Amino acid sequence: MIAIIGLLLGIVLGVLLEPTLPASLQPYLPIAIVAALDALFGGARAWLEATFTDKVFVVSFVSNVLIAALIVWVGDQIGVGSQLSTGVVVVLGIRIFTNAAAIRRHLFHA
Amino acid sequence: MDLLNQILAEPLDPDYARVAARPGPRPRMRLALLGVAVACGVMFAAGSVQSTRSAPALAVEREQLLARVADQQAQQESLREQISATTAEVARLRDESLGQDTSARALQSAIAAAEADAAAVAVTGPGMVVVVDDAPGSTGPDDGRIIDVDLQMLVNGLWSSGAEAVSINGYRLSALTAIRGAGDAITVDYRSLTTPYRVEAIGDPGQLPSRFAESTGGQWWTFVRQNYDVDVDISVADELQLAADPTLALRRARLAGSGPS
Repeated sequence: MIAIIGLLLGIVLGVLLEPTLPASLQPYLPIAIVAALDALFGGARAWLEATFTDKVFVVSFVSNVLIAALIVWVGDQIGVGSQLSTGVVVVLGIRIFTNAAAIRRHLFHA
Repeated sequence: MDLLNQILAEPLDPDYARVAARPGPRPRMRLALLGVAVACGVMFAAGSVQSTRSAPALAVEREQLLARVADQQAQQESLREQISATTAEVARLRDESLGQDTSARALQSAIAAAEADAAAVAVTGPGMVVVVDDAPGSTGPDDGRIIDVDLQMLVNGLWSSGAEAVSINGYRLSALTAIRGAGDAITVDYRSLTTPYRVEAIGDPGQLPSRFAESTGGQWWTFVRQNYDVDVDISVADELQLAADPTLALRRARLAGSGPS
């Protein structure tokens, strides 16, 4: 419940305040969002399976976002940034789809 | 494949199960959870706001580029007009200083004839119009795209058939004009042409078409027309107006005997 309220609050805040990221961080925002989505779907699935724990969610969220951004940053430094972001998006995308399928099974039993 | 299998088999953080299996109450971090959720929402909002904001910015940039292109074209056009006006002014001053006596008149008519031949002045008269276009759906010279050599043959055929002035898509051809291929486009005096190509030639409308058909260029085009699906439309016109070639100028050559300046 806290998570959903916080998420909505964050979206409202973001739309109202329109925070501007420093230009050096801007390339990492999309990949961080995908990582955050992955953590969110994982948390939702765990919640439905009654194994949700705040701590695990917080740690997985922060580490997901940081690691995704770090991978892309390293890729940028060695000149394969776009390829590495593609890789990160593919892996996280697979996880998001699998978790979303599990959530669907839990919600609709189908 | 092991890595992909692992991603598919373990999409959920295994820590969830591990912590849940532990006896006792689960650790709670309500404040951190709220903070992370808010941060996540802010990130979503910032991302979408950013991309919706940058889309109009890109469009604006494109608009500006288009406006600059249009500006430059207008400037080029005005410079061409300036050239024409200056050329007319030069001709007027020359006529003035030549005076009115008989030798001056002879000189003037010689100059006028030479200018018309050299494409330095606009001319008008009857002639023929050849409109040619690529074969529909063509991608290269092999399946019916018209290339620079085709236009060169066409123009040379017209010259050899007695054309006195020729223009392609409104660009007057002089002795210094180059017809060349540049990438996918054909250029005349380094200006790109768009299809269809409209070649206008001033000459005797009674003789020009038949003599063109017999010329090397005419035979070339008969071959092209029979073997490729190109559009060729030849007609006779009573009144053609051909502009002057504004790029005409001698940059290196000077009159023999005048010595280096």
